[in-house]
Amino acid sequence: MIKKAAERFFKWYCNPDYYEDIKGDLNELFHRKIIQQSPTKAEWYFAIQVLFLFRPSIIRPFHFWDLNFIAEMIKNYLTIGARNLRKHPMYTLLHVIGLAIGLAAFLFIHHYRIFEKSYDDFHYKPDQLYRLTTDDVLNGRIQVRDAMSFAPSGKALQDELPEILSYTTTAKPGRLIIRKDQETVQEENVVAADSNFLNLFRYEIISGDKENMLTEPYSIVLTESQARKYFGQADPVGQSLEVLGEFNRPFKVSGLIRDVPLNTHYHFDLLVSLQSFREQVERDAWSGYNYYTYLLIDQRADIDKLRAQMPALSRKYLGDVDRLEFNLQPVRDIHLYSDFTYEPQIHGSAKAINFLGIISVFILLIAWVNYINLSTARAVERAKEVALRKVVGAQKAQLIGQFLTESFLINFAGAAVALIFAMMATPYLNAMVGKPIFVNILEQTAFLKDLLIFFLIGSVITGVYPAILLSSFKPIGVLKGAFGRSKQGTILRKALVVIQFTVSLILIAGTLIVYLQIKYMTQKDLGINTDQVISFLNARGSESYDQYRTKYLSFEQELERIPGVKAVGGLSDPPGGGSSEISSSSGGVQVVGKTDIAKTTVYRNQMNDQVIDMLELDLISGRNFNRDFESDTSAVILNQSLLRTLGVSDPSTILNEYLQFGTNPNNSKYLIVGVINDYNRSSLKNTIEPTVFFHSEATRCTVAKLDNDNITANITAIQAVWSQFYPNAPFTYEFLDQRFAKLYMEDRKFGLIFLNFAILAILLASIGLFGLASYLSIQRTKEVGVRKILGATVNNIVLLFFRDFLWLISLAILIGIPLIYLGMKDWLNSYAFRIDFPWLWLVMAVMGILLLTFFTVSYQTWRLARLNPAETVRYE
Amino acid sequence: MKKYPLGEFEEVVLLTVGVLYDEAYGVLIKDELEKRLERTVSVGALQSALIRMEKKGYLESRFGEKTNERGGKRKRYFYITAYGKKALEHSRQVRNNLWNDIPGVAFDFQ
Repeated sequence: MIKKAAERFFKWYCNPDYYEDIKGDLNELFHRKIIQQSPTKAEWYFAIQVLFLFRPSIIRPFHFWDLNFIAEMIKNYLTIGARNLRKHPMYTLLHVIGLAIGLAAFLFIHHYRIFEKSYDDFHYKPDQLYRLTTDDVLNGRIQVRDAMSFAPSGKALQDELPEILSYTTTAKPGRLIIRKDQETVQEENVVAADSNFLNLFRYEIISGDKENMLTEPYSIVLTESQARKYFGQADPVGQSLEVLGEFNRPFKVSGLIRDVPLNTHYHFDLLVSLQSFREQVERDAWSGYNYYTYLLIDQRADIDKLRAQMPALSRKYLGDVDRLEFNLQPVRDIHLYSDFTYEPQIHGSAKAINFLGIISVFILLIAWVNYINLSTARAVERAKEVALRKVVGAQKAQLIGQFLTESFLINFAGAAVALIFAMMATPYLNAMVGKPIFVNILEQTAFLKDLLIFFLIGSVITGVYPAILLSSFKPIGVLKGAFGRSKQGTILRKALVVIQFTVSLILIAGTLIVYLQIKYMTQKDLGINTDQVISFLNARGSESYDQYRTKYLSFEQELERIPGVKAVGGLSDPPGGGSSEISSSSGGVQVVGKTDIAKTTVYRNQMNDQVIDMLELDLISGRNFNRDFESDTSAVILNQSLLRTLGVSDPSTILNEYLQFGTNPNNSKYLIVGVINDYNRSSLKNTIEPTVFFHSEATRCTVAKLDNDNITANITAIQAVWSQFYPNAPFTYEFLDQRFAKLYMEDRKFGLIFLNFAILAILLASIGLFGLASYLSIQRTKEVGVRKILGATVNNIVLLFFRDFLWLISLAILIGIPLIYLGMKDWLNSYAFRIDFPWLWLVMAVMGILLLTFFTVSYQTWRLARLNPAETVRYE
Repeated sequence: MKKYPLGEFEEVVLLTVGVLYDEAYGVLIKDELEKRLERTVSVGALQSALIRMEKKGYLESRFGEKTNERGGKRKRYFYITAYGKKALEHSRQVRNNLWNDIPGVAFDFQ
């Protein structure tokens, strides 16, 4: 054994001039050793001598290293390869387009995923940055996780825990109305922050003093594009902007920073100093958690240990009765993993991103599988070529080189076309993901690098198996004509086809289910009628509530006079808002004398007496508010969901009883006058909020129901009244149904991306199937002829050929259905309101796959079967 | 540039080929060397020395007979050439001169 190997090795490297006598010497010594010692020792001795002989003076010259020879060989590979590709233009085109689609789609998704995962990785110490969040804990179980925290908590925790190196307290104060010259602009995307903010978050400063930008009250930091909007190209630092509304005073521009990158969870256009809101911050103190606090934690600190200290610290600062607990959340996880209430902006979803990742791998695999399938299917055709080459003296390695070159050529063409596809598709993809991620592909080196890498990987993966299979044919058998179909190739091909069917089925069913859920959400009866209802935010300056109310009531009267306005109502939080847009309290609530104190989050909405009729809410019990009743200022209406939380089953039992917040028996009491049905105020991802409706004549927002006709004219009329009353404030309105649609933007986007790439994947699978079917049927041309002669009809033949694929599909269905069920059930569970698992549609998807295969396969067979058998039998 | 390039191991091999006159082939040279040097010599070291010296012209060779235990492979017999003899003589001369020039006192160990 060892001697054999050593002999082969020696024969391979030894210079033939010396081979004979040295080999003779070795043999002689070997024989002597067997006699003197033992055969095993002799073998080892032999091997060691061979190793010692491996010296420059004894090794033969290798002509293999001759560069000219290799160059000639490659030239020959390329010529033959190109000829082969030209000879079958249809297959070449299928391959190139398939590989191009696969590569381009895969790379796009890959880079979209990289982008989504890059959120907040650009800060100074991104991995040490944590957000202080607040959990609502009942009996050791977290009920609600909130992204916000108490204003003094950052400082308190830094004093308590040495691991916390630094903190910053910030808030989203809502919109600011800014006047520059005669224009008023609403700035929606504002962050208020303390002076440490810019030390923890890395935003490039163009002008201004980083340490002191946010120290003074009434200072404002502009991003580049905002600065251009207000001041043009001039340096804005030192200038001032008039902020209307509650401030009604000038703010000094203290800094200029570059536009905030897309990939942060905390996006803003303007920064104002938190000091500007000092009064409110002091008032909130430990009673209202309306702030976003970020902590910089020592990298050596054990986060779990820190977390373990939180409950005790929470009790120390918040008191023993409260259920709230501090928690820590890594900032880098916020975008993809956080589903807390009061998130500062719409976040991404790790699940969606991973889903897409799986689709992209599927797409690339399908493209590669197509190539492998068709290349091995065409083996029969290449068998004669291989045999003849071998007879003429080709070595196996050279044949493998030939086939690898062909796959390399096709993959290269595929990669080139993929680049063209990518450049053409860029604008559509940006629109689809809703962010300008891809600017100029040719300048994105990471994209080009991956294109190169996956082109090389693809060339090898798709080339190796066919190359080994094709080059291993035995010339004698093939040339004698005894060559049948290769068994191994067939089994692999069948397995690959099953995989393709499975993937296609999963994608068709998945797309269908996503579509059905989105359709369900947009069409579900929300418990309200939002048709032709617009809402807009009222303009409130620094005047007192009474002044505001008086002015608002006359404004309301004017609106009601417009003939096209059917009704005008007031609501603090109109339907279709995000989960964070409504205020809530979690200090406990009870119906005095009727229920226990329920320590849970209760949402507070304000409305006037018009809303119930206008939105067609259902008054289950009791009565509506009435502005003519003096006492109704302290009346409340509850929704059913709150009743369930309180444990009240019969609404009539709590009518005319009193609702009280908190645990102090001296807190104010509200008379319960009515109970309304549950309606969805926010997205169907959330359950219906237990809500208390307070009565208010001048709320934050106005809702108005318009006549079906002349909607634009009606809105213009409303706008005219508005500018009469509030000439300084901009008028922006939304339709309620559009507000709802906005809530599902992310889901729609996900659905759309899913749909597009699923279509691509299915298209690719069909291309592969088409190629395979067409090739296999041509293979059986003679068989078709013979069958027809013996009396088979066209239908018989088509069905016969289809049957070959039928059991492959059945296997795919068996594998696919459990996968679909598990995956989609999980996805549907993330919605509070969801469709039942649509088995019927799953059956439709299966039928779809069957039909697709049937048409692809039978079209090819049908073409053959229609031919005159006299011709087909002569084939070959 | 050395006049007669000859390494120490090469010199010993060359001398052994001379000792085994007309019988000098691989295995025999190896045995004789091991006996005289009192150490083992690998086939590789020996063969590369022989090949080098043949290239330098100190040795020439001819193929001899096959034997069964050699697996039907012929032996290669080595002979010293006149040039090889000169190289040996040169080497010996150098050593003799060195010996002669060592003063007696240097070896006068107490």
